[in-house]
Amino acid sequence: MNQYLFGRGRARWLPFLLLIPGLLAYIIIALGPSIATSVFSLTDATGVPNIPVNWIGLENYNEFLFRGLASRDNLDALTRTLIFMIAVTTIQFTLGLVVALLLNQGLKGTRFFRTLFFMPVILGVAIQGLIWSLFLYPQGGPMANFLGLFGVQSEFLGGQPNEAFFWVIFVQIWANMGITMVIFLAGLQTVPAELYEVAQIDGANGWQRFRNVTWPLITPVVNTNLLLNIIGSLQAWQLFLVLTGYKAGTQVLGYLVFAEGFGQTTGSVSSSFRQGYAAAASMVLFALVLLIGLTAQYLLNRREQRLGY
Amino acid sequence: MNTLTTSKDQITPVQSANKRDTRKINWWRIVGYVTLLIFGILYLGPLLMLVSTSLKTLPEFFKSATGLPTSLNLNNFVDAWEQANFARLLINSVIYTAVSTTLYIITAIFVAFPIARGLVRGHKLIFTLFVIALFLPPALIPQFQLILRLGLYNNPVGYILFFLINPIGIIILVGYLRTLPKELDESAAMDGCSYFRFVWQIVIPLARPAIATVVVLHAIGIWNELILPTIYLTSKEYYPVTRGLIVFQGVYGSNWPTLAAAVLILTLPMLILFLFLQRYIISGLTAGAVKG
Amino acid sequence: MSKRIWIFMGLLVVASLLFVACGGGAPAEEAAEEPAAEVEEAVEEVEEAAEEGEPVTLRVLIHQNPPMVEFMEAFNDEFEAAYPNVTVDMSIVEAGDLATVSQTRLTANDVDVIDIFGFANGAQPYMTDVDAPNWQQFIEAGLLMDLTGQPFVDNYDEATITDAGSYDGKVYSINLGRVSYSGMFVNEDLLAANNVAVPTTWDELVAACETLTAAGANCMTAGGGDSWPIFVGAYGLLGALYPDQEALVEGLWTGDIKWNDEQTLELWEKYQYYAQEMLEPGVTGLSHDATPARFAAGDVGFMPTGVWQAPALEEAEPGFEWSYIPFPGSDNPEDNQYLFGKYDQGWAIAANTPSEEAALNYLAMFSEPDNYEAFANAVGFIPTQPTATLATQLGEEVAPYLESFRVGYEQFWIAPKGAGQWANGGEGASWFQPFNEWDDAAALAEQAQADLQAGLDSLSE
Repeated sequence: MNQYLFGRGRARWLPFLLLIPGLLAYIIIALGPSIATSVFSLTDATGVPNIPVNWIGLENYNEFLFRGLASRDNLDALTRTLIFMIAVTTIQFTLGLVVALLLNQGLKGTRFFRTLFFMPVILGVAIQGLIWSLFLYPQGGPMANFLGLFGVQSEFLGGQPNEAFFWVIFVQIWANMGITMVIFLAGLQTVPAELYEVAQIDGANGWQRFRNVTWPLITPVVNTNLLLNIIGSLQAWQLFLVLTGYKAGTQVLGYLVFAEGFGQTTGSVSSSFRQGYAAAASMVLFALVLLIGLTAQYLLNRREQRLGY
Repeated sequence: MNTLTTSKDQITPVQSANKRDTRKINWWRIVGYVTLLIFGILYLGPLLMLVSTSLKTLPEFFKSATGLPTSLNLNNFVDAWEQANFARLLINSVIYTAVSTTLYIITAIFVAFPIARGLVRGHKLIFTLFVIALFLPPALIPQFQLILRLGLYNNPVGYILFFLINPIGIIILVGYLRTLPKELDESAAMDGCSYFRFVWQIVIPLARPAIATVVVLHAIGIWNELILPTIYLTSKEYYPVTRGLIVFQGVYGSNWPTLAAAVLILTLPMLILFLFLQRYIISGLTAGAVKG
Repeated sequence: MSKRIWIFMGLLVVASLLFVACGGGAPAEEAAEEPAAEVEEAVEEVEEAAEEGEPVTLRVLIHQNPPMVEFMEAFNDEFEAAYPNVTVDMSIVEAGDLATVSQTRLTANDVDVIDIFGFANGAQPYMTDVDAPNWQQFIEAGLLMDLTGQPFVDNYDEATITDAGSYDGKVYSINLGRVSYSGMFVNEDLLAANNVAVPTTWDELVAACETLTAAGANCMTAGGGDSWPIFVGAYGLLGALYPDQEALVEGLWTGDIKWNDEQTLELWEKYQYYAQEMLEPGVTGLSHDATPARFAAGDVGFMPTGVWQAPALEEAEPGFEWSYIPFPGSDNPEDNQYLFGKYDQGWAIAANTPSEEAALNYLAMFSEPDNYEAFANAVGFIPTQPTATLATQLGEEVAPYLESFRVGYEQFWIAPKGAGQWANGGEGASWFQPFNEWDDAAALAEQAQADLQAGLDSLSE
């Protein structure tokens, strides 16, 4: 703990006191219920009141992970989720950085481009899906025509699972690059302009300026973006709901969890409420994200410390 | 952190260096513009498609979903406004968004700053807790039970409670606040500034870029939220704007052109918010804040 | 430092355990008792109030369906006129959210009349280790009012009440309509122009398709962009080969029927032919709601889909000549005369409603033959009241098949736990290229059975 500069004795508690409202809200509204969810995952709770709830231990987990061939589907979804995460994070991060750098130069039209690239975020997932399901019409849609210029054909979202999966990755990156960009832009503001001038005077070219001035100084936002990207892409599934529906061969774990919990795996509207099972499935996803997320946070923290933050 | 220094000797070759660099910079500029152009098309295209959809009539749309509209059909906007009762809903959404975001950002600053500076025991743990919040399993039913028992079901106050938390905002703020130099704290303390005043009057203005970013992201999240109001705000007078969209959605399909028009109306406030806050997001540290 | 953290974590755990103890589950019985006592009082008050004409708000929850919403708004006005002390407060949610919102609002006692889909997918005696469907969970939780013996129930035909609204001998819902999903719309003009007769068998359908495509037209279209219209369009094919769909599901569970039987192989091969040869190219991008317009363009012979597309078809091209026939999936014309479908929307009343009298009056007035008939015509349901007739073209088209309407496979199928994603053969048509990765009917049949078997085997563990 660092030295507290703003007073002695009881005044040293002030930061903690002022922190409590935010922390308390979080615990009561988010953390508490989520812990309750984890407990429910060990029961056969339905979520409907007055139906008896029984303790069934790890049976839900057994069903999700090991039972019959459903486990094969669930584990496939897990693999797909990891692929999705890696593809989306690397590309979105890079593009977001590139665009933020470009828009930090004071080129003409910067404000227009900033707003343009951020528009998908403003519109929200449902609209993003609507736009792209139109844009990706295989017959005569704009993207189809464009690709046709290069002789490339695709059935887009209604075709082969792998192809559809690719396109969802594409849309996911398109939709969220704006957030990455904006966070980077904010972070780039902390780099004083004089440092660039000085580097230029020293004869550093563009790449060197970036590597030696920019990159180290934006480490905290780099880490923020990496963390948010990784975790966000591990959990993202709403675009799948809107673009492909529950299509065999494309599901990611987040979608699976939602579908199994809300009974949307088949066309039937009578599916059971299975709160306990859904809780177990979401705990599996949580464990995955926890593992990857905490590892990422640990590695990024170490890097920050090395650089003196 | 930074290892560059300047020395008087190196200032003189500025002019010739600039001359060499002028050509280089132009080259990079062109590449920059081209890249932006490519991205621009990639973003403008689909967005224009939304606009063009909003200008079509429904039969037109079914005949050609992706072609250009044959006439500018502004009726959709009028229909959208009337059918969805947008006036009332917009007011609701504005209230929810404004109140929640304000409450959130104030509490968030006072959470993020001590973490960033390590002023609280267990700050690492608290930060990790918030990171974990990003991937907590959805807790729809326990939350529902909580709100029900607190008597806040179908109640705007209960609804706003959900938006007092946003781990992404905390993480962004912490990341940004860490870049503020520690000398800032020291000079303020030496001047006899109290903790509260320091954060309120010095840190917050300096953190404008991050705060603006978080405000935008948080506000958009609240504005576009659909699941929570569907479950927790069942009286029509409480409906936010997203619930109004349902009148355009059918069982198996929707009235896309009017829906598109409604969407464009709906996103206008958030667009305006973003345009307004853009300035703050890219406002730099005033040089000299730390000097002395 | 560590001591504070431990205390902190300890408080956290205690707090959340309290949560679990209090939230849902067995202690909910306590919660149920309290509201029950309060509700009794409230009901008494309201009954008195009703007599005195004190204002009552009747909260109704429905799912979004534009023609239905329009009708309901008019009906609500009429109801309010007939019962001046009642105000109807109607909320709309998307169909996919209906179950969830019904659950939360029933639990919170925040609704009086709910729209609920026909009772389906109940656990059958030959199934083990399956969960109760959501409507049954509501009933077991005591959330739905018992409507047995209510006079308006008698307005509906017996099959409706028994199949779609009853459980354990009691009536909990009155269902308002059937929809058929196994037929196909036929462009008779196009067929006539090419000297093709309306097909009554599979072979005739194949021949018709070949003639049409040879003449430069298209055989069939469906909403491949949304995936599900492909397999729903093939429900007729499934029904033609297995006219007793309930028996099909039972056979799959008991092992008497397998997806890789010789007989079933015919199904997979026909699925493949349907997906690859009959459906026109480009279907992968066509959305479900754009399909009627596509069909109305005039150069497509058939559109296999549900009757709910009829209003959209009429709107897309008024005056377009069409007819609706069962999908001729069998080589035997007698097998091709059934329409398969499901029970769609129905009404139920919350058991704990404080406005019992108003709610019952609401259903009673809705069930009056005139009102009901207007409803069925407005929405395009196949009527569930014997006195109602459809005055639309759709009514004409489906009239010959009303007697032989059967509930379809989708309403019986429950996958055994542990079954793989390929176990639900009813969706098989959408697994063939170009919609998914399969190209070999026999191999897919094997995989489907393997996926189903994995679930069945895991039951005995």
